[in-house]
Amino acid sequence: MNLSEDTILLLLELTDVIISGLTNGSVYALMAVGLTLVYGVTKAFNFAYGSFFNLGGYCAWLMILATGFVGGYFSIFIAVIPLMFAVGYGLEKAMVAPLRKRADWENKVMMLTLGLSLFMDNLYVAVFGGRVKSLPTILDGALTIGEVILNYQDIMIFFMSISGILFFGWILNNTRTGMAVQAVAQNPEGAKIVGIPEKHIFASTFAISTVMVGFSGILLSQKYFISPMSGGGIMIKSWVITAFGGMGSIRGGLYAAFIIGMLEAFVGWQFGMSYTMIALFVLLLTTLVVRPQGLMGKG
Amino acid sequence: MSSKRMATIMGVTYGIAAIMPFFVGDIRFIMHILIMCLIWAVVASCWDLIMGFAGIFSFGQVAFFVIGAYTSAILSVQWNVPSVVAILLAGVFTAGMGVIVGLPCLKLAGPYVALVTFGVHMTLMPVLRGEIGIALGSGGSQGILTIPPVNILGYTFSSANQIPTFYFTLFLSVVCTVIILAVIKSYWGTAFLALKDSEEFAMSLGVSAFKYKLMVFALTSFLTGVMGAFYGHYIGMLSTRMLELDLFCTLMVMLVVGGIGRFPGAILGAFITVTANELLAPLGAYRAVTLGALVVLLVLLLPNGVMGLWLKRSDAEA
Repeated sequence: MNLSEDTILLLLELTDVIISGLTNGSVYALMAVGLTLVYGVTKAFNFAYGSFFNLGGYCAWLMILATGFVGGYFSIFIAVIPLMFAVGYGLEKAMVAPLRKRADWENKVMMLTLGLSLFMDNLYVAVFGGRVKSLPTILDGALTIGEVILNYQDIMIFFMSISGILFFGWILNNTRTGMAVQAVAQNPEGAKIVGIPEKHIFASTFAISTVMVGFSGILLSQKYFISPMSGGGIMIKSWVITAFGGMGSIRGGLYAAFIIGMLEAFVGWQFGMSYTMIALFVLLLTTLVVRPQGLMGKG
Repeated sequence: MSSKRMATIMGVTYGIAAIMPFFVGDIRFIMHILIMCLIWAVVASCWDLIMGFAGIFSFGQVAFFVIGAYTSAILSVQWNVPSVVAILLAGVFTAGMGVIVGLPCLKLAGPYVALVTFGVHMTLMPVLRGEIGIALGSGGSQGILTIPPVNILGYTFSSANQIPTFYFTLFLSVVCTVIILAVIKSYWGTAFLALKDSEEFAMSLGVSAFKYKLMVFALTSFLTGVMGAFYGHYIGMLSTRMLELDLFCTLMVMLVVGGIGRFPGAILGAFITVTANELLAPLGAYRAVTLGALVVLLVLLLPNGVMGLWLKRSDAEA
């Protein structure tokens, strides 16, 4: 097969775009699964989701500053994951749980979390400055296959997000807490009757989703950078994926995340990054008009 | 609340505002804050009508405000349309946008409406800053810097003659909020109340949820667009910075302070919040942080806003 120089270049570029779509998509999947879970189980619409993404990044950054990167990313994950869990659990108990008794609590939660995201984003700016921060790469070097260069970093991101999702699936299906979460999602009343501590489950679910998004934050931030005000975009992205994949459907969220990762990569490549938001919005509107329940959602 | 009581509270609030120029008329800074209060009172009331009465969880109010402001500014800068005509056209255009956004999303459940409308908000910034916006005359990330002031029959209402401008704003604000009051107390308002109590029952009686929601969406978009357009002409410049979360949350604070669905509350909320926001200005970088914390605290601690403090317990729970 004889390909001209241009075709080869185009193919190489295409491979890059696809790789970027796959790695971003895998992280988006992690974010979207967390969001699907928290909305599916607790019905709390979390507008501060994107700010927790950056919280993960900043925690990692602070850890590196304080400890001088001892033990690499392994120690960071060990430290940040329980921290994110505690933050999520505490916030749910302090802020979302008291609202549950009120009649229009879902709306109140949206307003509260939007305020929280303003608080967090601007606190980042005030504490860490408006400039972006970068984290060291998780794994240096690259794998070269012929003309194609595969960064170990990308492979690692892909591998870690997928294992994150698998681990999460394992928790959901094999631990008592996980099964209780599923029970509450399926039938809150029934779960209460058989003695599942609903309040504890709500807080745990919220905390798990915080961990997932914080973990995604570390993974993506070490590829790009941490920028304090990016939370809103991340939140919208996660929501578009969740809505596109079908609210409450974890498998739908997975497919949607990869489709959107690819879409974003291709739109960014063809038209420039400023158009990705518009593309996402068009996709969201189309989904809601054509198939409101999303790809894999029920009814 | 009876319409008499609502009208009284509105009358007192606007009355106090109306006599303010006699005391502080020569302090430009305070007059500016008062004009801002009047503008935001309308926008907050519109949002209250949508969210508190019609029960649509729309997050697009700031987006509509900005759409109105930009439409009017572009019309008068690029096409030399007289400012009054431009403001009205901007209102009509914004109402059209409201209908376009409302058509797909008003049939959806709560969080999806919030998502789509917030999506409009988030998409507006790249559109206005990008090539599409520049082609339309939005000035990209720099914004529009030379918007002519409102001119009625040769008389200009600009920041140069603040007191007439103040009374003009007061007039606009009163007209808009009276329209909102009329809607709340009209057949529409009753229909919303019925839909909120039991959507299925109301619909079985022949109340069309979709029709009323779309109409209220169009109306509030129109009023918000007009106020946005007026804001642009008054300030004289516009930029996409308005679309940052800051302003959005300020507006939300107004609503939470005033009490959602406690109508004249939104007007009081606007007056309190705009003033408080100016008082917070010395905090610098921490102003927005404080604002965010305020939203959280107010939602938790003040369920019905300042109106809730006045109303009887039985009233507040209704």
